[in-house]
Amino acid sequence: MKVVYNWLKEFVDLTAPAEDAASRLALSGTNIGGIEQGAQGAVIEAELTTNRPDCLGHYGLARELSAIYRLPLKPVAPKPAESAAKAVGAVRVEIQSPELCGRFTARVIRGVKIQPSPAWLRERLEAAGVASINNVVDATNYVMLELGHALHAFDYDLVRDHRIVVRQAKPGEKMKTLDGLERQLTPGICMVCDGDGTRAVGIGGIMGGTETEISFSTKNVLLECAWFEPVAIRRATRFLRLYTEASTRFGRGADPELAELASRRCAELILQLAGGELLAGVVDAYPGKRAPKKIALHRSEFLRIMGVDVPDKEIEAILAALGFAPVRVDAQRGAAGSLLAAWECAQPSWRAEVEREIDLIEEVARIYGLDKFPPRFPVARKAAARLPHAAAEERLRERLMGLGYREIVTIPHVAEERNELFRPAEATPARLANPLSEEAGVLRSTAAVTMAAALEWNLNHGQRSARLFEIGRHYRLQGQQSVETRVLALGATGEAREKGIYDAARAFSFADLKGDLDAAGAFAGGFRWQPEGGAWLHPARCGRVFLGAQELGVAGQLARRVAERLKLRQDVFLAELLLDPLYVAMRAAGDARRFVPLPRFPAVERDFSLLLADGTSFAAVARVIQSLGIAEASSIEAADLFRGKNVPAGKYSLLVRVLFQSPTSTLTEAQITDFSGKIVATLEKQLGAQLRAG
Amino acid sequence: MSSVESKTAKTLAALDAAQPQPVVALFAEVRARFDAEAAAAHDEVSWKLFRDAWLGRKSGVLTQITDNWLKPASPELKRAVGAALNELRAHVEAQIEARRVALEGAADETTLARERVDLSLPGVVRPVGSRHIIRQVFEEIERIFLQIGFSVAEGPEIESPYYNFEALNIPEFHPVRDDMDTFYLELPKGAPGQLLLRTHTSPVQIRTMEKQTPPVRVIVPGKVYRRDNPDATHSFMFHQVEGLAVDTDITFCDFTGTIEYFVHEFFGPGVKTRFRPSYFPFTEPSVEFDASCIFCAGRGTAAGGGACSKCKGAGWIELFGAGMVDPAVYGFVNYDAAKVSGFAFGIGIDRLAMLKYGIDDIQVFFQNDVRFLRQFP
Ligand SMILES: [Zn+2]
Repeated sequence: MKVVYNWLKEFVDLTAPAEDAASRLALSGTNIGGIEQGAQGAVIEAELTTNRPDCLGHYGLARELSAIYRLPLKPVAPKPAESAAKAVGAVRVEIQSPELCGRFTARVIRGVKIQPSPAWLRERLEAAGVASINNVVDATNYVMLELGHALHAFDYDLVRDHRIVVRQAKPGEKMKTLDGLERQLTPGICMVCDGDGTRAVGIGGIMGGTETEISFSTKNVLLECAWFEPVAIRRATRFLRLYTEASTRFGRGADPELAELASRRCAELILQLAGGELLAGVVDAYPGKRAPKKIALHRSEFLRIMGVDVPDKEIEAILAALGFAPVRVDAQRGAAGSLLAAWECAQPSWRAEVEREIDLIEEVARIYGLDKFPPRFPVARKAAARLPHAAAEERLRERLMGLGYREIVTIPHVAEERNELFRPAEATPARLANPLSEEAGVLRSTAAVTMAAALEWNLNHGQRSARLFEIGRHYRLQGQQSVETRVLALGATGEAREKGIYDAARAFSFADLKGDLDAAGAFAGGFRWQPEGGAWLHPARCGRVFLGAQELGVAGQLARRVAERLKLRQDVFLAELLLDPLYVAMRAAGDARRFVPLPRFPAVERDFSLLLADGTSFAAVARVIQSLGIAEASSIEAADLFRGKNVPAGKYSLLVRVLFQSPTSTLTEAQITDFSGKIVATLEKQLGAQLRAG
Repeated sequence: MSSVESKTAKTLAALDAAQPQPVVALFAEVRARFDAEAAAAHDEVSWKLFRDAWLGRKSGVLTQITDNWLKPASPELKRAVGAALNELRAHVEAQIEARRVALEGAADETTLARERVDLSLPGVVRPVGSRHIIRQVFEEIERIFLQIGFSVAEGPEIESPYYNFEALNIPEFHPVRDDMDTFYLELPKGAPGQLLLRTHTSPVQIRTMEKQTPPVRVIVPGKVYRRDNPDATHSFMFHQVEGLAVDTDITFCDFTGTIEYFVHEFFGPGVKTRFRPSYFPFTEPSVEFDASCIFCAGRGTAAGGGACSKCKGAGWIELFGAGMVDPAVYGFVNYDAAKVSGFAFGIGIDRLAMLKYGIDDIQVFFQNDVRFLRQFP
């Protein structure tokens, strides 16, 4: 709200410069967006929190400043001249929906002259950010900005039967509002109607209608100043998507007691601006009148919450200035500073949100000054704990960083079309009911989809090599429940080793991905790999990763079909693994880890250069060797692999290195020769392997 | 040379050296020969041959003397031969080592020039990884709060309206719901309730208090979502760290003391703090918390004159919202509001990282450009 500082001075004799007042307001709960100097003097941009509808008018902020500076607040007591004729005879009001409209006051002013407002009024409205329309409408806006209560002026002669009926909207009802739009209504919305109540002339507390609008031919004015139920107003604004100055004020909770005063003040202003005569009295339907609430404040509770005391006089002065009329009620009355002191306060009608002792504590503290409560350091009484998986996650993260992967953080919202490329058939996607755009319509079903997007971003921005990881969640539905699962995503593309002074370049390959994953899997006792992956993976370069019988996920090269859809022009490698079972296994493997004594006798290496049929796996070779049951064969490794030159079609050459070692003696040449002979014979017999010369 | 070699191949008896005198002479002869050969060892290859000729285990001169002169010597000569041999050995070893040092020192300058490394060239660059800056900032926050007894908790990002709103004293149609535009999930027909993406990490306050009795001290990191159109300062996903402390003796002073401690740890001890009253439905009293601007040291003016662009001349930067837990919240978790009190805060991690590192576009965090990631090693 734009606050004209000189306007505030009409209610409080402020001497401080506007900057000082703004700063004091900011430190007592009114957020200040800035100060500007204009023709009307300083204008303060006040950003009010939703709990302070009373400050949506200058008078409310003047009350704040009167409490802050301890200056008296001048009462508003308009006494417009009234004619002999009474309003009661000229207009009737019936509230059929008291749950929506708690008060409706009507005044009638006859013989007005509608014309443009005088300069002083136009300028002041303009400074406050409101456009001038005509003298009567401007008067209603002026009072709204002054007292914070919204009013509405009807052309009295256009209101049928000079009768107002307040009821809720009927199903399918429509009306044309002042902004010229036809509005579709729904029950629960409060309608201000005329005549027999069938015709709506305004949406209560939100916007008037065109049919009874003030125009330059208006002679007589019916002035509405009402009170509408805040929750109903907020429902209605949300349904209608119609937010107005009036709906903001009624929606946050206006002051029902203020309605009559604001109406009187507005009538006074209309007489001043447009002439005419005000019919005596007011027609006031007030079914929602409430008795003021009593709220107690105890010093002991203040101390318990705030930690530091505030003197009696300060407490009383602050509460009195804010309108709470505090009265000491404890037995120690008169004993200043008593720890047993208690006050009974009356809730002002403009502060409906102050209902409890804690609310009063806040009122006292914010005006007294939060800087007067000295910072202190609380004592901890329990040891702090990280998340149960924090240590495992940190080891994993450190290992991946050691392998050259950079951590990324992604937004899980993706396009459904993309999500579909990666979504496993059994996963139900978690779609948004109200996405911002189709590009962000579903929460990722796997972290592979966002990892692919991160690689894509880099490739499209000239970064040809990247190794990335993300520790995050994927999101799925299971029936009507949501399931969030912790996952690790890896992504890599480009060079595993960049060309440099010392090294030749080498492209990242499936083997890099597998090796890196296995380096992480070593924490959990090692991964087991099985053929095949998801449909989004290259059928020949992918695998499933297991820990024992538990499948953790898939890894491999992105299928060409998918890469083409994403317009990725180079090979991309991706993996997604479940993290919770990995963390559990890491912990178990860590607990089970024991020292293995180092060998005391030398090991002997033997290389077997084998010619194998394509499709015969290294694992098959190793299994055959293991089946011989040579206890001394302590490790079997693949040392080299090649195809092509000198290797017949349909075959490949594999160099297998076997390490022989005995825990009890040094092996003799004869023993090694014997083992080797058995190995070669069995491989030839069972796998058709040929031993290559050399 | 041949005379010495032929002599060391024979026994002392064969050389007619039965008395100490000729033995001493023989050793002197060997030593002279050694000194002469030493001078000839002028490079690494000849030095190695020379070393092996004298110290070789199988057929070095000293081994020959040991085998041929010392071992077969008569008991009366053995002592003298042993002493002379030890003396010779010490001399030979010292000289061979000295020769090596001399040779290395005098190594060919051209060879060195060829081998000398160019220190202006890079070493071998191995790929190194890094933590995302959001993660780094969170770890810093976690470290700070772990030190003062705050445990870490977490909760789901897909929440029910109850935890995200109602239990935090934000009933339906409460005006602050308008400020927290919310994503909802599309659920199968007939689903009993709604699911939404949490708009803050505060639901975990409720989940934590449901699970444990006071004292409670937790921080809760995580992703949160608000349905705002993306721009330089808005992302519809961002990160918060929620904080919650509830005990029988926590006051507003403890709250401000804790926040002040955090800010001094995070931004440095010179940073000043300020609390402005504010409004949140789940805290009361509520505050907005400001720190003195780290870019202009709170002066409000830029180094080159004019207003500081970061704090818009205010000298203060708004950091986050916080407050004493509203007693209404305790009602939702069966805590006795008359007995316990506490405070809660919600720190925006992204905003903190933007402030600390001068990042002016929030979107850059989530694009994951490796040129960005590399800047935070
Ligand atoms: Zn600054």
